[in-house]
Amino acid sequence: MKFIVSHSPHIQKKETIQKIMWSVSFSLIPAGIAGILFFGYHALLIIFLGTFTAVFTEAFIQILTRQKITIKDGSAFLTGLLLAYNLPPSVPFWIPIVGSFFSIALGKQIFGGLGQNIVNPALLGRVFLLASWPKYMTTFVKPNFNLFNFFKFDAITAPTPLSLLKEAKPIGVTYLDLFLGNRGGCIGEVCIIALLLGALYLLIKKYIYLYIPLTYIGTVGIFTYIFGPSGFFKGDWLFHILSGGLILGAFFMATDYVTSPLTTKGQIIFGIGCGIITSVIRLWGGYPEGVSYAILIMNLSTPLIDRYTKSKIFGK
Amino acid sequence: MKIEENKEPQHNFHSEKFLNPRILYLHLSQHTGKQSKPLIKVGDLVEEGEVIASEDGYISSRLHAPAKGKVIDIADLAHPILKKAKAIVIECLDQKKEFVRNKNVSDLSKEELLECIRNSGIVGMGGAAFPTHVKLNPPKKIVTLIINGCECEPYLAADYRLMVENIEGIFLGIEIISKILQPKNIIIAVEDNKKDAIKNINSIINLKKISLPNISLKVLKTEYPQGGEKQLIYTLTKKVVPSGKLPFDVGCLVQNVSTCFAIYQAVYYNKPLIERLVTFAGDALVLPKNIWVKIGTTLRELFDKKVLEFKVEPKKIICGGPMMGIALDSLDYPILKATSGFLFLNKPVSFLEEKPCIRCGECIRNCPMGLMPCLINLYTLKQSFDEAKMLGALDCIECGVCSFVCPAKRFLVQSIKNAKLNLLK
Repeated sequence: MKFIVSHSPHIQKKETIQKIMWSVSFSLIPAGIAGILFFGYHALLIIFLGTFTAVFTEAFIQILTRQKITIKDGSAFLTGLLLAYNLPPSVPFWIPIVGSFFSIALGKQIFGGLGQNIVNPALLGRVFLLASWPKYMTTFVKPNFNLFNFFKFDAITAPTPLSLLKEAKPIGVTYLDLFLGNRGGCIGEVCIIALLLGALYLLIKKYIYLYIPLTYIGTVGIFTYIFGPSGFFKGDWLFHILSGGLILGAFFMATDYVTSPLTTKGQIIFGIGCGIITSVIRLWGGYPEGVSYAILIMNLSTPLIDRYTKSKIFGK
Repeated sequence: MKIEENKEPQHNFHSEKFLNPRILYLHLSQHTGKQSKPLIKVGDLVEEGEVIASEDGYISSRLHAPAKGKVIDIADLAHPILKKAKAIVIECLDQKKEFVRNKNVSDLSKEELLECIRNSGIVGMGGAAFPTHVKLNPPKKIVTLIINGCECEPYLAADYRLMVENIEGIFLGIEIISKILQPKNIIIAVEDNKKDAIKNINSIINLKKISLPNISLKVLKTEYPQGGEKQLIYTLTKKVVPSGKLPFDVGCLVQNVSTCFAIYQAVYYNKPLIERLVTFAGDALVLPKNIWVKIGTTLRELFDKKVLEFKVEPKKIICGGPMMGIALDSLDYPILKATSGFLFLNKPVSFLEEKPCIRCGECIRNCPMGLMPCLINLYTLKQSFDEAKMLGALDCIECGVCSFVCPAKRFLVQSIKNAKLNLLK
């Protein structure tokens, strides 16, 4: 008889990277369905092209560099999905293709693949697109919630609530509209209730913890309340929380394991930092929205935060 | 942290006996510290309970012949921890010795009791195998004596069966330790999955069968690693054993229930530590069992004599529990004084392929020592042992929780052990 000789422990939890990644993608399904219902089949096409290109690029690079192909772990799919969710529904079909390629090739694989990237690849792809094709990336369409209009894509452009706020124009949407997603915006960011549903699933499964989302959203709320454009302590904090990509960013992108701090303490600092940068850009910056840049900048500070927020050793 | 317990059905099986082995492998290194010095030579005839190797230095322990027989060899044999180590081989003769009850136990002084424990070769039977006579003679006053009946490793049930079947003996052992240490209070710690043991302990405490007024039972949540010394002390007394210090530095001392029983047998019957209760479990066995065996009995003999039988061929044999145990490469290993169980697994569930760390932080959240295993792992892989030390690698208790929870299946605890070896070199 021959026996396997390996190190202890000899039992392990059945949790795998694969399971986590696919669960996060799964939790994003409601938000995607909402986006498709609001913006029609074109949104579905963008999501498909984004995810397909991401997975294809990952496999292609891994074949070129003679590595093991790891597309089954779901991380490339998730990156493509998040990128697509962060695109306006009216972008031309090649935008998600270029964006996903950039995300995977220059956001992830160039650093050595899974676990090695320094910033969130999906967000890097998005800001690359935003810098290169600002017109496509800032043109939004009016939502058209009608099941029978699924194949009818009438692109009536409509500015997002945040850009209306920036230009000091009447916004014309209620909190309920914001909450349900009846507003102009990116495919996956509009329907808050669907996003919260997905986030709840991840929280219950303990795949994410509340430290980053709560401090992030809380900071944005407090900051915009205090410094809001209508005067000190008069800001419309609820509007700021519900509009733009804050909920999507706080629950699904800022919580990315690889690019956020390791300890609870670090995650709280990270969340507050994200909140401050987002609010500053929204209130005084050149862009109406600042979630992407805020998370990217804090991603870059993660090694520094990690250095100063080590866990406390028992007995030391 | 919760782990699947897998204690059924061995938890409910009454212990059996296998006390007439044909051959015994007695390692000179059964304990922490220097290995014992053999007092016999090949060809000698030894009696049951006779000292066959003496302690060598302060932290060392004695070895007794578990059965009457002939010394046929002194050779390097398979050792679960040291791989190969010097052992005395005894071919047993079929003869049993009766140990008679010692009448004047209550007259024995503290020094005489300690001497008796030393003479009996008792070591910590929970796994660490630290010589008990040294542990019971601490340089500082002990305030709290903790009796560890947690047995938090999955599968193992030997301590539980001992508490169910021999609780009086354990209490008499505690009484002896209490006489030596004179602690202010004694806490027996048991996890809440050990229902019958809790009932037994409560009935003895409530009926005041034993003259220990300061004893109490504390039922703890079933959790791993509940039985870790520093964790147990913190849970029970909220005292933190400082890094690099020992429990007596905070006035605590932890003894395993099996060790208490061995002390009872040593003092009341002058019976040295020559047999112990061991759990044999796992899905490859026809029936898991708890068996009283002589120290030195080999696994092979247990299977040859059909004391244990395989249902299917095991893929993995583990000496100890699944979290901290050591995988063995054959059946030619003997039972040591500190071996509490063997597992025979047909479907090993551990993964052998590492994936990259995704920094999920699970290892950090679950580490009972508050370490950052994923970072220590990265530094160890880069041979940066000084950084590993700064991150507390030397504080690691090697419980294995980090590797257990890691979704990337990284060899975390393994690399920390490696860092420790390099740092202690």
